[in-house]
Amino acid sequence: MALLEASGVTKRFAGLTALDHVDLQVEEGSVHSIIGPNGAGKSTLLNVLTGSIRPDGGTILFDGQSLISRPPYEINQLGIARVFQSPEIFPELRLVDNVTIAALAARDGSFRLNALQHPRRRGEVRDLAEEVLADVGLKEYARFVAKHLSRGDKRRLELAICLAHRPRLLLLDEPTAGMSHAETHSTVELLKKISEMGMTKIIIEHDMDVVFTLSSRITVLHQGRVIADGAPEQIRGDEAVQEAYLGGAHL
Amino acid sequence: MIAHMLRPQSAESPWREPVIMAVVAVVMITLPWILPYVGGYPELATRILIWGIFALGFDLLVGFTGYLSFGHAAFWGIGAYCAGFYLLHGGMNALPAIIIGVVAATAISVLLGYLALRRYGIYFAILTLAFAEMFYYAALAPLQDWTGGDNGLTGIPTPVLAGIPLKGEVIHYFVVACAFLAVYFARRIVRSPFGLMLRAIKSNETRLRFTGINVYRYKVAAFVISGLYSGLAGTLYAIYETYVPTESLHWVTSGKVVMMSVIGGLGTLFGPMVGAGVVLYLEDVLSASTEQWLLIQGLIFMAFVVFLPGGVMEGLHRILSWIAWRRTDLPEIEGRRQAREGAHGAAPLQQRSR
Amino acid sequence: MTTGSLLLQLLTGLQFGAIYVLIALGLTLIFGTLGVANFAHGALFMIGAYLGWLISSATGYWLAFVLVPLLLFALGIVMERGLVQFFYRRPVTDQILVTFGLALVLQEVVRWMFGGTTKPFPPPSWALVPVNIGIGYYPPWRLVIIGVTIAIVVLLFLVLRYTRFGLVIRAGMRDPEMLRFLGINVSNRFTFVFGLGALLAGIAGVIGGPTTAVNPEIGMAMLVPSFLVVVIGGMGSLPGAILAGILMGEAVSLSVLIYPPIAQVIVYIVAAAVLLWRPRGLFGVKGVME
Repeated sequence: MALLEASGVTKRFAGLTALDHVDLQVEEGSVHSIIGPNGAGKSTLLNVLTGSIRPDGGTILFDGQSLISRPPYEINQLGIARVFQSPEIFPELRLVDNVTIAALAARDGSFRLNALQHPRRRGEVRDLAEEVLADVGLKEYARFVAKHLSRGDKRRLELAICLAHRPRLLLLDEPTAGMSHAETHSTVELLKKISEMGMTKIIIEHDMDVVFTLSSRITVLHQGRVIADGAPEQIRGDEAVQEAYLGGAHL
Repeated sequence: MIAHMLRPQSAESPWREPVIMAVVAVVMITLPWILPYVGGYPELATRILIWGIFALGFDLLVGFTGYLSFGHAAFWGIGAYCAGFYLLHGGMNALPAIIIGVVAATAISVLLGYLALRRYGIYFAILTLAFAEMFYYAALAPLQDWTGGDNGLTGIPTPVLAGIPLKGEVIHYFVVACAFLAVYFARRIVRSPFGLMLRAIKSNETRLRFTGINVYRYKVAAFVISGLYSGLAGTLYAIYETYVPTESLHWVTSGKVVMMSVIGGLGTLFGPMVGAGVVLYLEDVLSASTEQWLLIQGLIFMAFVVFLPGGVMEGLHRILSWIAWRRTDLPEIEGRRQAREGAHGAAPLQQRSR
Repeated sequence: MTTGSLLLQLLTGLQFGAIYVLIALGLTLIFGTLGVANFAHGALFMIGAYLGWLISSATGYWLAFVLVPLLLFALGIVMERGLVQFFYRRPVTDQILVTFGLALVLQEVVRWMFGGTTKPFPPPSWALVPVNIGIGYYPPWRLVIIGVTIAIVVLLFLVLRYTRFGLVIRAGMRDPEMLRFLGINVSNRFTFVFGLGALLAGIAGVIGGPTTAVNPEIGMAMLVPSFLVVVIGGMGSLPGAILAGILMGEAVSLSVLIYPPIAQVIVYIVAAAVLLWRPRGLFGVKGVME
């Protein structure tokens, strides 16, 4: 059974059908990219998967459990983490605190009234946080405030926040958007490294080099419908895909 | 802030906390003696501490989660009215009065928090303001048989705690004890994992929600703790003044604690208490020489919002940082900045994709 | 209670509602376009009432009726240029704090200049004589208030619907960023809208002043229910503000008839009820402040 199985997912917005009976099967350990021209419904699909939006129809099963009607924090606690298009971090807090928050969420669950817990008892969590920061290459800046990081470093920090949970599935929304060549390269390297840890990933991307470098499987959306789904070589030669992209990104 | 960017925050020494609390205790106890030297009077100290507890509770919500409430007078006033009512009709024992006041205020804060926290930002501020005004008008008219209506609750007898009447110096020490405990627990809360979550809410609520945290519950919890503190402060107020004016529930009181906290410095715990001292002191000094002290207070408040939104605490921080900056070597700063830029091959400017 | 007196009370409810609507329209215009919750809006109403009293005491009512809205328009522009515009990029809490501080300062300045007692601000003398409107005798001034409000509302809708300026405002209320990209000078538009909001508050003040009290506290006293009207109607929704204003006005009026002590409190009870039923307000648009 696939780790994530979505079938017939439909979402309508005031007359516009953003998602039209979308099926998606993501195998454990794979890197599954979702591509498509602008407006294809990729972000909507991501929002449905992470619980920001409730679909009008269809089922979504993660490891056998339904994700529909669950709030985002519950979905995250089940093991799905999300990386946003513009890196969402805690800018006023130090890097180590950014990651500690995620580690605490993993340790204590979605709510714990530990308002009187002494700071000293956080040692374990803090060690985990620093370990994760080291994994993404930000260890030296652990005690710096996150606000002044470059976009690429914010992306790393965001990944660290996601990883502190040890999620089973990582959802990335255009991870290299707006990045320079060098930053894109280092982000891809980092993502490859995470793959080696065996984490399943769903990536929405426009940068085709990134998609074809990283993916083991690609799903193509166009106007809310899946028009192709398969291994990268298949997608490369698929006529329907090329037609959808006419005038768009180059393959 | 430049200082944060350049100097990593060092680990805490175990002596820091006890020393801070000791200083706090000393200041609180000796305040009645210090004040007359600067044109105040001893009783002002007790008032400052009572409002300080109020401002402390306010800060726990607003300074840490970032949710601006304009209705905290509701908890202060309800605490005051309930405690006062008990003392007038139920008995002279201070302990049940305090418990009743605090429990009532906390219960109302659960209700208000539940309703108001479903909304954000402006919505939240308006709703809290509106609910407090509802209590105010309710106390003025429909419930005036209980609240004394326009006149407020008058003639509250001096309560007794374990046989000792709470007045004069005794009440000051009692308030000092309450204030000290209030500060102690507030610091514990802020330094706990719970406190970190509150700061995360202020920093980026969306990120927190997608990091497995039930943000709503944390907000309600913060709101209720804040209401508890405010209710305690209101209760002490009723006991101390032996009178509860209707203004206790009015937006003027909510506005006052907002001004105290902003002037002192939101998010610093000590700031709002300092702000309480500043505002009450100014009120005392100014109202002797001019009738327009409320106008001056408003102007000072606006000046802070416009020029120094971090309040007195930010002002102090800036002065101290400036002194520290002058003493650091400039080349060292340059070196660190280059190290940070060079490591990941990009400029520190944020780029946007759309 | 006869049908006649009930109908008259409902009519009064419309009049109460009219004042709320005028203030709420200004609030919602400013909030929808500029994104600023103007806590000083009640103070603008209060200043309108005071100016109305001053001018009408000197030169009679009609000059006040014409001048006050214009003066408030100018005041709104001064406020926006002098203070509010610096806060667009600041966090929402700072905006609330600065406008609240301004409200307090304005209230105290007025108290300083004119004292705290209520000023007598009568409407034109013909308006004090009750006229027979079929179902009973009724103070004509209340009818004037309702009439003026309806005229203003219609005018506002016409402007928003059929003029280019109105189109820009409506677009700006949905997506201010887009306006900037289209090269439209947003800054001037913002100033104008703020002035317009103040103008509406001024109209409310000059026609409402004779019915509400003219004292320094009236600003804040009118602000809270008006904000609630905006919230209940749906932030940024003009039809919502109108409907909610009428609803609130009727609630107050009917409670005066049925159980007067509740009259002030009923506004909040109605607000709570509506919000529990429809958290976004009657016509709230999803995504606005959520």
